[in-house]
Amino acid sequence: MHYTFKIERGNFTDAGQASSSVKRTLKQLGVDPVNIKRTVVALFEAEINAVAHAYGGTIDVDIDGEKIVMVVADEGPGIPNIDLAMQEGWSTASPQVREMGYGAGMGLPNIKKNTDDLKIDTKIGVGTTVTMTVYLT
Amino acid sequence: MPTGEIYFRHSLRVNDYLCQGCTTCMRTCPTAAIRIRGGKAVISDNKCVDCGECMKACPHKAIYIKQDDFGLIENYRYRVCLVPTTFIGQFDTKYKTKAIYSCLLKLGFTHIYEVEHEVPRMMELYNRYMEDHPEISTFISPYCPAVTRLIQVRFPSLVDNVIHVRAPLELASRVIVKRLMDDGARRESIGVFYVTPCAAKIAAVKYPVSGKETYVSGVINMDFLYNKVLLMLHDSDKNAQPINHALTARDVMWPLAGGEAVNFKGYQYAVDGLQNVLNFLEKLEDEAVDAPGLVEMRICDQGCVGGVLTTNDRFVARKRLEYRARLFERLENSKLRESSNEDNTLTPEWIKDMEIPDIKPRSIYKLNDNYAEAFKMAERMKKIEKALPGVNCSACGAPSCAALAEDIVRGDANADTCVFINPLSKTSKDAMNRIWGDRIKSNKEEQ
Ligand SMILES: Nc1ncnc2c1ncn2[C@@H]1O[C@H](COP(=O)(O)OP(=O)(O)OP(=O)(O)O)[C@@H](O)[C@H]1O
Ligand code: SF4
Ligand code: SF4
Ligand SMILES: [Mg+2]
Repeated sequence: MHYTFKIERGNFTDAGQASSSVKRTLKQLGVDPVNIKRTVVALFEAEINAVAHAYGGTIDVDIDGEKIVMVVADEGPGIPNIDLAMQEGWSTASPQVREMGYGAGMGLPNIKKNTDDLKIDTKIGVGTTVTMTVYLT
Repeated sequence: MPTGEIYFRHSLRVNDYLCQGCTTCMRTCPTAAIRIRGGKAVISDNKCVDCGECMKACPHKAIYIKQDDFGLIENYRYRVCLVPTTFIGQFDTKYKTKAIYSCLLKLGFTHIYEVEHEVPRMMELYNRYMEDHPEISTFISPYCPAVTRLIQVRFPSLVDNVIHVRAPLELASRVIVKRLMDDGARRESIGVFYVTPCAAKIAAVKYPVSGKETYVSGVINMDFLYNKVLLMLHDSDKNAQPINHALTARDVMWPLAGGEAVNFKGYQYAVDGLQNVLNFLEKLEDEAVDAPGLVEMRICDQGCVGGVLTTNDRFVARKRLEYRARLFERLENSKLRESSNEDNTLTPEWIKDMEIPDIKPRSIYKLNDNYAEAFKMAERMKKIEKALPGVNCSACGAPSCAALAEDIVRGDANADTCVFINPLSKTSKDAMNRIWGDRIKSNKEEQ
């Protein structure tokens, strides 16, 4: 099953619709709550990153018999140093983003923790594509 | 309606004679438990959580709560009326509680017992449970039975966050039965009757999540008793006392939103009103809020004074209870209680009796127990949903197009019930097009 969503730049309040919609499907499938939570948490963090640090983008979710693959692709500045970005507490969030309650530098580490596979493709000045996989079994 | 194992039962009923099939109730139900069949609303047992929203919304007063025959009290020699303070909140503060209680005695009860007298013991039970479960960060109060059911069906991942302790009325009935038996009464001669503000409490007595025995012999609807008492109040000069010790200000406030949480150590939150409860649970489930501590949750706005069987405005009732609480404060009831010789301990038997062994997840979303089968159904459902117009007109008898799509894949409805897909005639099709644009689809989705 395939889902596509759009991410709008700077729209923090509407973020989360993709994860709610995916959550609904996973509940229909009777997926184990732990895996639902992992998926929802990871997808939400990646979406927020695209809202906060980039200029919006798209989300593609594929669910099959054994896994959930989520691809969050944005147009944005890219991530200069992924190793640094993966560190807990490291953040370049603007004061405005911090004002919204984000910017603890925990998003990417949280994604890492909650997914079975994480791939980050990034190109400076072009954008970032985050591919996350959660296995159901 | 689907058959299979039924694990919830209810006292909520639809009066087919009054029901106009207007769809109002169906659209308010938080669990999409209602369908129109044969022109009447039909409630699905496994989906309904007894929140009472449908009954509050029905413009024809066609939904009602079946209560026990009042005559039932005659079967007992000792007839205890178990009242929550919510009942007192229905009355003007010019009436003394003693006057209200004397009316209850005149109606045939032999003893009055106030449920909130058990607040200290309930607090101890909650605290014990929280101490015994250091691995849980957010605890949800089990006070409102509709919340527990809602969690079971819509947020099954949160069942372990609910404090596994039974309703206060169960403890109160055990305390009173023991007390009367200590005074020489035989168990079979004692009848305990609870005055309920809602359908959820009835379900908690009659079809408890714990699956355990109840000590409550019958349940009386609050509106019914209110009317009876009100008629007698003007010439009531009697001073009847409940047999429990005086309530404190804290006890009186317990059924109100915020009245419970405030008594606990550490962080507490008070969430009331269906929409707020849904939002909060959704966030808890997604870990989008960090809420360590105790969350009090009430389906009804303002708490139990907003219950569907209350008779007076919930804000007024709240004020009245606050007024009485202040009065009890001035009378220094809490000091009285402390210095009295009352026994506030919990017997090991009560502690065991009050435990809920297991709150089972009962997801209403899961399409099939078999993943592969569920997957096929979900795929088909998504396709059907796309083919439906998405205007949620309810003409098909389902609350939304998404609900119809689900009914179709579950085999509970046919696609041809959609008036957009299957317009009755050329004229009706043209008329629909004028209103809805080009949303009328051809019947192609199922190929
Ligand atoms: N999609 C993205 N485009 C550009 N930079 C990004 C992107 N995602 C993450 N980053 C960079 O990586 C840093 C760390 O990201 P991470 O999600 O871990 O923390 P954060 O977003 O700053 O704070 P938090 O997620 O805790 O609210 C960000 O501050 C930002 O510099
Ligand atoms: S009581 Fe609540 S859950 Fe049950 S049918 Fe009515 S609205 Fe739905
Ligand atoms: S808040 Fe009180 S009155 Fe309302 S459903 Fe819950 S227990 Fe019943
Ligand atoms: Mg982030």
